[in-house]
Amino acid sequence: MSGPSDLVRIYGRAFAAACWLLVFGWFTLLVLVPQVTMVDQSLWRMEQPKDAAQLTLDIDRLYNDLSVMKLDRADAPADKQAALDARIAETQAAIREMETRETQPRKVYGPENYTRMSGLHAEIFLRTLAFAALTTLIALVVCYPIACAAAFAGKATTTAVILTALTIPYAINELLRTYAFLMVLDYRGVINTALSWIGIIDLDRDQAIPFLESQAAVFAGLVYAYVLFMVFPIYNALESLDKSQIEAARDLGASSLRTHWRVIIPHAKPGLAVGSIMVFMLSAGSYAVPRILSRGLGGDWFTQLIYRQFFDAHNWNIGSAYSVALLIACLVFVALVMKITRVGLKDMVR
Amino acid sequence: MRGHEIRLEQVCVRFGAVTAVEPTDLTIEAGEFFSILGPSGCGKTTLLRVVSGFLSPSEGRVLIGGRDLTATGPAERPTAMIFQSLALFPQMTVWENVAFGLEARGVDKATRKRRAEELLALVALAEHAGKRPSELSGGQRQRVAIARALAVEPAVLLLDEPLSALDLKLRQHMRAELKAIQRRTGVTFIYITHDQGEALAMSDRIAVMSKGRIEQVATPDGLYATPATPFVATFVGEQNVAEGTIAAIDSGIATLDTPLGRLSGRLIGKAAAGARARLMVRPERLHHAAHVAPTPNTLSAAFARRDLEGPVEMLVFDLDGAQWSIHRQNHGETPRTGPVELAFATEDAMVFAEATP
Repeated sequence: MSGPSDLVRIYGRAFAAACWLLVFGWFTLLVLVPQVTMVDQSLWRMEQPKDAAQLTLDIDRLYNDLSVMKLDRADAPADKQAALDARIAETQAAIREMETRETQPRKVYGPENYTRMSGLHAEIFLRTLAFAALTTLIALVVCYPIACAAAFAGKATTTAVILTALTIPYAINELLRTYAFLMVLDYRGVINTALSWIGIIDLDRDQAIPFLESQAAVFAGLVYAYVLFMVFPIYNALESLDKSQIEAARDLGASSLRTHWRVIIPHAKPGLAVGSIMVFMLSAGSYAVPRILSRGLGGDWFTQLIYRQFFDAHNWNIGSAYSVALLIACLVFVALVMKITRVGLKDMVR
Repeated sequence: MRGHEIRLEQVCVRFGAVTAVEPTDLTIEAGEFFSILGPSGCGKTTLLRVVSGFLSPSEGRVLIGGRDLTATGPAERPTAMIFQSLALFPQMTVWENVAFGLEARGVDKATRKRRAEELLALVALAEHAGKRPSELSGGQRQRVAIARALAVEPAVLLLDEPLSALDLKLRQHMRAELKAIQRRTGVTFIYITHDQGEALAMSDRIAVMSKGRIEQVATPDGLYATPATPFVATFVGEQNVAEGTIAAIDSGIATLDTPLGRLSGRLIGKAAAGARARLMVRPERLHHAAHVAPTPNTLSAAFARRDLEGPVEMLVFDLDGAQWSIHRQNHGETPRTGPVELAFATEDAMVFAEATP
């Protein structure tokens, strides 16, 4: 590829330059600067001097010395006063320097923010990743049939209805949506009420099914929250499939299962990969859904831990390190998915 | 492999208020190369989908090899379809494509591979077994599709305009190849096309369809020489047409009064004097009056232009408000302009009376 890009040919140099400038600005401000800041923040910490106790003693001793010197100077003959003044100033400077060291910790670079993660935190980290992966898997299983229904409906109106029905909940803020879901799953929520109506449980005898006390509620909430990000990539991929391939498979005697496995899923792979990556990243990084739905009963999500490092413990360095760790884990997941599905970046942007 | 006979009995397809195929009876002989020819939207693909089982007829029965398979799905019918887009599976290798039907039938991998290789040898693609369809040329992909359909040993092969994506040279080559494969396997071929050249070149018999109805079923020669309806006459081959009123009918010869003069031709079907009718003469049956025996059918014309088509040439003449043409061997030069006399023999012209309203 040589010569001017399409952008230049279509819009001219000035507009193309503006476009590139915007892209550059966007990349710098929204991608590079925050990430670099975060990584930098995660790599240093403020260190109290190791000999803090000794330092305090040393300072006390110097103050004693200073008092003695000041007394000496009051009684000293005029010719020795200048020398004592110099020693006093020297000692005062030493005290100031030591006091600075005592009250102001040093900024030290090192990997400790990452390596010092406690066992409990590491466990939450791994559990969050496992749960996010599980959420992705559930979303995949739930969304593939929906996407198939939309893509192979045959009638444009059916497709439109399915896709619109999926989109409508997204007109509402994520928090409100999650609270709505909370009301569905609550002790006296929609499901439990319905169950008591048909007589399966008795709410007045505390027989409500405690959906919210299990992790399943968080999984369900996450799938509900991110279903669209899985359905649309799969739908797009399926849409581009030549429908006569499905007919050909059928004509050759393939079962529906084999047709999906050998013809439809291989074609939809880029969509499946993009959807999985999105849902995994969004679930692993979700704060509101696990916070609202588990209400502290189902154990922490790693994002809650990060939040607390920043805003409760005020340890921005550890918080940054945890954030970067989560980011790296997500990138590893992306690479893994791309490797497993043998989908390249170029396939995904098709 | 042996072909099956196909019988359609009063098959009719309606989509809501639209009738795609009018009630149709059709018998296709076992082992025949049968084409269904018609313009797009005439219902030929719908008819093929009825035979393949992808579409259930609204009425009527489909019998294949003597068995009523009207309610049977495409997988269980002894038919295999070759799609217009070929519908090869892009993620599979060529041999996996060919073996897919066997895979679906639970045949073990070694047998599958051997069978696929045999079929690929049949279509001269043995050395491409390991490639992907996207690495092959259009003609090679075409042959993979044929091999894939033949792998399930169908008694009937259904081809839905499979050559339409190829360029002219390749199309002509593939015609011969398809015909040869059909002869070698003895499978009944039903070939859908809008290209009369393909239909005439390959078929044992052709059905011409228009607006959901079969107008005529005949051999290629029969179709060309004795079309049954004006639609068939104009759709297959070309015609010079004059409209007029029948002045007289005498032992199968109708004489018309037309704006071009009084012209006679063989009457096809029935008509009475005074009826509106169309007279048609094929361009290769029209001559300069000086070159033929005297005939009552002469026309005054002015030479307009010459279109060279390689071995043959088309001379176009302006008549009174119409354009007629002569199709003849390439004479290698453009005739001089000016008035000429054209003529045709009465037995070379066909007269179709317009349906009485």
